[in-house]
Amino acid sequence: MRLKKRSPDFLLFLTTMLLLVIGIVMVFSASAVVAEQKFGNAYYFLKLQLGWAAISLFAMVMVMMIDYYRIKKLAWSFLIMGLVFLVAVLIPDIGKEIKGAQRWIDLGPISFSPAELIKLCMVFFMAASLSQTGEKIKTLRGLIFPHLGILGLVVVLVLLQPDLGTAVVLGGTIYLMLIAAGARWAHLFGLAVTGVIGVIAIIISEPYRMRRLTAFWDPWQSPLDAGFQTIQSLYALGSGGLFGLGLGRSRQKMFYLPEQHTDFIFSILGEELGYLGVLVVILLFFLFIWRGLRIAVTCPDAFGSLLAVGITCMIGFQAIINIAVASGSMPVTGITLPFLSYGGSSLLFTLLGVGILLNISKFSTSR
Amino acid sequence: MNPTAIGVRRRIYYLFIFLAVILFLLILRLGWVHLVQGEELYQMALDNRMRDVPVEAKRGTLYDRHHKELALSISSDALYAIPPEVRQSGKEQQIAQELARILGMEEAVVLEKITRNSRHEWIKLKVPPEQVEEIKRLRFKGIDFAEKSQRFYPKDNLAAHVLGISGIDNTGLEGIDKSYDSELSGTPGRIVIEYDAGGREIPQAMHMYIPPKDGHSLVLTIDETIQYIVERELEKLYQARQPKAATIIVMDPSTGEILALACRPDFNPNDYNHYPAVNRRNVAISNAYEPGSVFKIITAAAGLEEGVVRPDTPFYCSGGLPVGKHTIHCANYRAHGSQRFADVVANSCNVGFSSLGLNMGVNSFYKYVRAFGFGQKSNIPLPGEALGILVPQSQARDIHLATMAMGQANAVTPIQMLTAVCAVANGGNLMQPQLVRTVLNVHGEVIQESSPQVVRRVIAQKTSEELRLLLEEVVANGTGKNAQVEGYRVAGKTGTAQKPAPGGGYLTDEFVASFVGFAPAEQPQIAVLVLIDAPQGYPYYGGLVAAPVFSAVVKDTLRYLGVPYELPVQNSSVEVPAGEKSIEKKITVP
Repeated sequence: MRLKKRSPDFLLFLTTMLLLVIGIVMVFSASAVVAEQKFGNAYYFLKLQLGWAAISLFAMVMVMMIDYYRIKKLAWSFLIMGLVFLVAVLIPDIGKEIKGAQRWIDLGPISFSPAELIKLCMVFFMAASLSQTGEKIKTLRGLIFPHLGILGLVVVLVLLQPDLGTAVVLGGTIYLMLIAAGARWAHLFGLAVTGVIGVIAIIISEPYRMRRLTAFWDPWQSPLDAGFQTIQSLYALGSGGLFGLGLGRSRQKMFYLPEQHTDFIFSILGEELGYLGVLVVILLFFLFIWRGLRIAVTCPDAFGSLLAVGITCMIGFQAIINIAVASGSMPVTGITLPFLSYGGSSLLFTLLGVGILLNISKFSTSR
Repeated sequence: MNPTAIGVRRRIYYLFIFLAVILFLLILRLGWVHLVQGEELYQMALDNRMRDVPVEAKRGTLYDRHHKELALSISSDALYAIPPEVRQSGKEQQIAQELARILGMEEAVVLEKITRNSRHEWIKLKVPPEQVEEIKRLRFKGIDFAEKSQRFYPKDNLAAHVLGISGIDNTGLEGIDKSYDSELSGTPGRIVIEYDAGGREIPQAMHMYIPPKDGHSLVLTIDETIQYIVERELEKLYQARQPKAATIIVMDPSTGEILALACRPDFNPNDYNHYPAVNRRNVAISNAYEPGSVFKIITAAAGLEEGVVRPDTPFYCSGGLPVGKHTIHCANYRAHGSQRFADVVANSCNVGFSSLGLNMGVNSFYKYVRAFGFGQKSNIPLPGEALGILVPQSQARDIHLATMAMGQANAVTPIQMLTAVCAVANGGNLMQPQLVRTVLNVHGEVIQESSPQVVRRVIAQKTSEELRLLLEEVVANGTGKNAQVEGYRVAGKTGTAQKPAPGGGYLTDEFVASFVGFAPAEQPQIAVLVLIDAPQGYPYYGGLVAAPVFSAVVKDTLRYLGVPYELPVQNSSVEVPAGEKSIEKKITVP
């Protein structure tokens, strides 16, 4: 089935670019003091992020031009590649341990996170497999083999790093894809219950996760320990008020709020640009989700449609969780804010996803 | 389009709504954090980032009633370190070395202080100006001065027990400085600087100076001149007789205002560490003594008020009065024979007073003892006041009554005794003893003014007048002749009490000599109590040791107050300092 090519979705592109620009500005603002302190160069993280942005944008444009149907054919290969890296990162000599978790693979001057790769690979695989499965997804057998089976394997590997945040984002994304693919509500309900029980079990099994969970209910119980990040994040957001302290004027970035240019960049944004800045960013993510799902709806084929759903949900769901953590609405879990957080792998795979979305948008039916 | 696509499309709408709702909830949540909790969180964040250096408030001044300074606060420079800044400068060793040299301190001690894990550390208080200059010139990072105020008592020992002492941290430790600490100390200010989490000052940081609110000043009821007179006479006595303790209190009987209060042994509040702790004891309010004969004033007042006795009521003293197994004797086993009650008072006849007490009965007697304020705090605004000890009314037997009536068995504080005598002097009202006339704010404006407070009426005006005449007679012709003051009619009573021995009975070699009285007798301007605890040597009688001191104090005080003479003055040697002359007078044994 070949349709007339249209121009890619401009609003999605614009939204992406705006988020990217805001991200680069905020990475600089949030990281300058730390960079100056650590590397004697305030522009250290800015330069790296600009480099990664350029590479990622180039990759995005390249992906826009390929025939996205080739992804369907290569879905198993992508999955296996993702799994190889995921296993590799667990091997002590290959994976780099940072802060007690093995999440990075060192590739000479750069390091990348297989978790970012596997998320995209899983979306590819699920979109391909679910479009193939068709109506059989309504059967338990069709649901479990291979979808839940593969998901379970990947989630276990991710948890071995351990990286609960990514596991939750991945599980959530695939779950949203299963909804879109038309799985039975009863099955979906059972799956949700299983998932929640699983997450609770994992939290209870690890004392530090348990502390984070209780600290979420009342961060002021342990202001120097588990509640520290939440409190410092709330301090930042609250300090911003309606209009913010002004760009570059964050106080909490002065070593008070950890991960200020990565996981907690949203808090610095809230402090410097206030509630208005926060609203703009949330609005941009809303636009992104809207355009992404619109592309899915208007896509003439099931694979493209499910692929668009997967990519949109992957980015949108991760953004929601990051913002929920920053605003103290959820226990702390270390995941980045797509487009905004500092980090090469995150940006690269996010923009690759956007490239595919834009690619699919070229083939939409007129609606 | 395949049929699933329609289902898929509907499911995608659901997803969209689901995600949109979550985003909306996040917008609400963030609105709450930013807009509702924002101000509070901002303050908390600010507090979290602020380091502050306390700036002490200046302690209020203590003035005498004529606004002469008795205690004031002077500023001194205190050196402090902000250890994170010192550590960051990397010059800890050099700073410690230089500071140790200038201040004459151990280098290791300085180094430990300036690198301690704290935000703010005092290195040395009271740094002399030239050292301050030298240190300031070195401009060390994280080393600075803050003004600290230091209490200074310009008149040294004068009224030390009233003024009290205050410590280095700007808190009153004793005396008025303690009891009025909250008024005097003010509210400390702060210098606040915003820091990053590593203890570095941040660019465009918040600097705030919250100025301290200086303390209020107090105008005391103390009259510096009268206090000088009292201190002089007390010191003379203390040097001559070396008693264990001694005190003189001068009170205005009509208002209850304390005009002077001095104690021995004493201390210099500027240098209180160099005196034994016992010297800081305010004998006038903290010590309870058996009052001895001065308490007969109370017995007489009770008897007259109750109508049990009249000034001309006849008494007979055989020198002894059997009470149960005991016998009450008059001093030196003298027998006074037939006498009127007025003579009983003038002669300080124990037998007469004991029988008066027995006539009155326990209930009436205790009623007056309590009404005059014994067994209760006078509530003079000084810390450490004693209650005194009364024989419990339920246990009081005849022997108690007989001895209490002549001033034994009970223990009273000097301030209680004088306050009670003031009630006799002023027409019958027990006054609240006062030490503070007005409270002044920083600008010298009166923010609180005290007025005389009548605690209760104890005896009638008529009783007061009768008793004044009887007490005048004591000084004019009785045991208190040494208290006479040329040119004035003086009323008063002597007292020589034995001191209870530990374990029962009385010491044979220690006495408390006292005199309490007022002048001029008709319209009393001052009431004075002189009490000497265990004077060395002989004589130890109140009439011989205390009365002359009373006379000297009253003479100079009345002259200073400009009270006109009531009686013709025989010789014109008013220039002769009082005290010396009284001692030359012929002494009479009570």
